[in-house]
Amino acid sequence: MSPALHPLPRLLHPAAWWLWGVGLAVAASRTLNPFLLLLIVAVATWVVLERRELGSSNALVAFLVIGLVAIGLRIVMVTLLGGGVTGRVVLVRLPEVPLPDWTSGVRIGGPVTLEGTLFAVYQGLQLATILACLGAVNALASPRRLLRYVPATLYEIGTAVVVALTFAPQLVEDAQRVRTARRLRGHSSRSLAELGRIAVPVLVGALERSLDLAASMESRGYGRAVRRTARSTRLAGVLTLVGVGGVVVGLYGLLDGTSPLLLGMPTLALGVACAAAALLVGARRDPRTHYRRDPWGLSEWLVAAAGVVPAVVMIVAGTRHWDGIVPQQVPVELPAVPLVLVAAILVGATAAWTAPVPPLLARSRVARTTSAQRELVAS
Amino acid sequence: MSSWRTRVVMVLVLLVGVAAFGWPFLASPDSELSQMGHSTDASFLFVALMGLMALALLAEMTSGGVDAKTVAVLGVLAAAGGSLRVLSAGTAGLEPMFFLLVVAGRVLGASLGFLLGALALLASAFLTAGVGPWTPFQMIAAGWVCLGAGLLPAATGRRERWMLTAYGLVCGLAYGVVMNLWFWPFLGDSAPAGAGFVPGGGAAVNLGHYAVFYVTTSLAWDLPRGLLTAALTLLASGSLLRALRRSLRQARFDAPVVFADPAQRSL
Repeated sequence: MSPALHPLPRLLHPAAWWLWGVGLAVAASRTLNPFLLLLIVAVATWVVLERRELGSSNALVAFLVIGLVAIGLRIVMVTLLGGGVTGRVVLVRLPEVPLPDWTSGVRIGGPVTLEGTLFAVYQGLQLATILACLGAVNALASPRRLLRYVPATLYEIGTAVVVALTFAPQLVEDAQRVRTARRLRGHSSRSLAELGRIAVPVLVGALERSLDLAASMESRGYGRAVRRTARSTRLAGVLTLVGVGGVVVGLYGLLDGTSPLLLGMPTLALGVACAAAALLVGARRDPRTHYRRDPWGLSEWLVAAAGVVPAVVMIVAGTRHWDGIVPQQVPVELPAVPLVLVAAILVGATAAWTAPVPPLLARSRVARTTSAQRELVAS
Repeated sequence: MSSWRTRVVMVLVLLVGVAAFGWPFLASPDSELSQMGHSTDASFLFVALMGLMALALLAEMTSGGVDAKTVAVLGVLAAAGGSLRVLSAGTAGLEPMFFLLVVAGRVLGASLGFLLGALALLASAFLTAGVGPWTPFQMIAAGWVCLGAGLLPAATGRRERWMLTAYGLVCGLAYGVVMNLWFWPFLGDSAPAGAGFVPGGGAAVNLGHYAVFYVTTSLAWDLPRGLLTAALTLLASGSLLRALRRSLRQARFDAPVVFADPAQRSL
C-alpha cells in the first residue's frame, strides 16, 4: 500500500470536490440514457457513503427526494397536459377537455403515449441526476469551506456571509426565546401579526449585537490595513467595466441574428476574461495571511480528474452523436449501453479511493475495527 | 460606495440579467443563441455567466472598502433573511423572507439593499447546503427586489405602508415569473404541449407558451408568496420600519471617519 493511495486522514480541498461534482453534473447533462444516468447517481451515492465526514449535513438525501418529486411532476404533467413528443403506442386515453380555439396547442387529457411518458421519465431522471451530483458535493464538502478561498476582492462579502452564517442559529434561538416570553404573557396566537411582533424584538436585538460585533472588528484592525494601491483599484475597476460591457455587447451579438459573428462569442469571451481578471487583479497584492489552508496534493488532482474525465468523454460523445447518448424516442427501444461511456462514468467512482478519509470518519472506523477485533479475541 | 462606475456596472449587469432571464423571448430566430437553444447549451452559458456577473458586481460594489458596521449589519440582516428561508423550507411558496427583504431594502436604500438581497440568498444557500446553478440567479433577482424597494418614492406613515404592501405583492409574483425562466428552456420537449420553449420560435409564440406554463405550474406557488409578503408588510412593516431605522441611525452610516494629520495636531 503506497502512502499516495492511502493518505493520512484529512479533509480534501473543497475545490477538488466541487470540480468532481460539477464534472459529474456536466456529464449527466449531456445524456438522456437512463442507464448511464442511474450509474452516475450510483457513483455519486457511493462516494458520499465512503467519504462523507461524520456530522456534516447529508444534503444528498434531500436532493434525491427533490429529484424524485421532479420526475413525478413531469410524468403527471405529460399525462395530463401532453408533451412535445407524439408517440404511436397509446397506453390510456383520458377524456379530453374541450378548450376554445384561442388556447391553440394546449390540451387537457387525451391520449397518453408510451413514448411521451418515457421521454418525460428520461428528462426527469436527467434533472434528478444533476441534482444528485450537486447534493453529493454539498454533502462531501460543505460550501462554507469554499468561503475561505474567495479572492481578496470579495473579502468584505465573504466576511458578511461568515457573519450571517454565525448569527443565523442565534437568531433562531432568539426568536424561540421571544416566542416563549410572549406565550408566558398569554399571547399564544399563531397569526401573521404575531409573527411580525416577534420579528421586531429579534431584529432589534440582532442589530444591536451587530454594532457590538462591528466595534470588536474595528478594535481588532478590520478594514484598517491599506490593502490595495490606488492604481490596482483603478485597474480592477476599469477591467470590471470593460468586462461587463464586453459581456453585454457579446450577448447582444448572440441574441441578434443579423450582427456579425465577431460581435457574438469572441466579444463575450473577451468580456468574461476581463471580468475574471478584475476579480484576480485586486487579489494579487493581498497581504493577509491565512490560517491553515488545505493543501492541494496528489489526492486533489486525482479527485478533480475523476470528475473531469466523465465530463469530457460525455461532451465528446455528445458532439459526435455516439450511440446510446440520446436514446431513440419513436419507436421505443431499449437504449444501448456503450462500454466506453460506462467506463468513463466509473472513473468518477475512483474518488471513493483516491480521496483521503475525513478525520472523524477515520477515527470511528478505527474504533469500530478495534472493537470488532477485541470481540474476536474474546470469543 | 455608489460611484458612477458602480452605477454603470450595476446597469450593465441588469442588462446581462435581462438577457439571461429573457433570452427565450429576445433571441431572434436565426441568431447564435437560438442555435444553441436546440440543445440546452444556452442555459449552461447563462448559468456560468450569471455566477461571474454576480461576483463581479459584488466585488465592484465593495471595491472602495466597506466599513465594519456595514459588514456587520449586512451580515446580521442576511442571517435573518437566510434563517427565515430555512424555517419556511418545504412550505409551498410561503416564504416570509421577502417581507424582510422589502422592508430592509426600503430602509437601507438601493445599493446596500441590493447587497443585502444577494447576501441573504447566498447565506440561505449555505445554511441549507443548497448551492446549485440556481444560486446566482436567485441572488441577482433577490438583489433586484431589495433595490426596487430602496428606489420607491419617498413616503411616510400609512402611504408608505400601503406602497410597500403593493410592492410586496408584485415582487412575490414577479420573482416567481422571473425565476422560472432560467430553467424553463431546460424542460425542452418534456414540457406540456403548448407550454414548452420553442427555439427560434419568436417572442410571441414563446411568450404565449411561457404564460401557459406559468399559470399551469407555478402560479399556485407564487400567489401565496405574494399574498403572504403583502399581508406581513401591511401588518408589521410600520413597527419594523421604525425599529430598523432607529437601529441603523445608531450605526450612523453617513458619518465618515477622518483621521487628522498627526503633524498638524502637534502644532
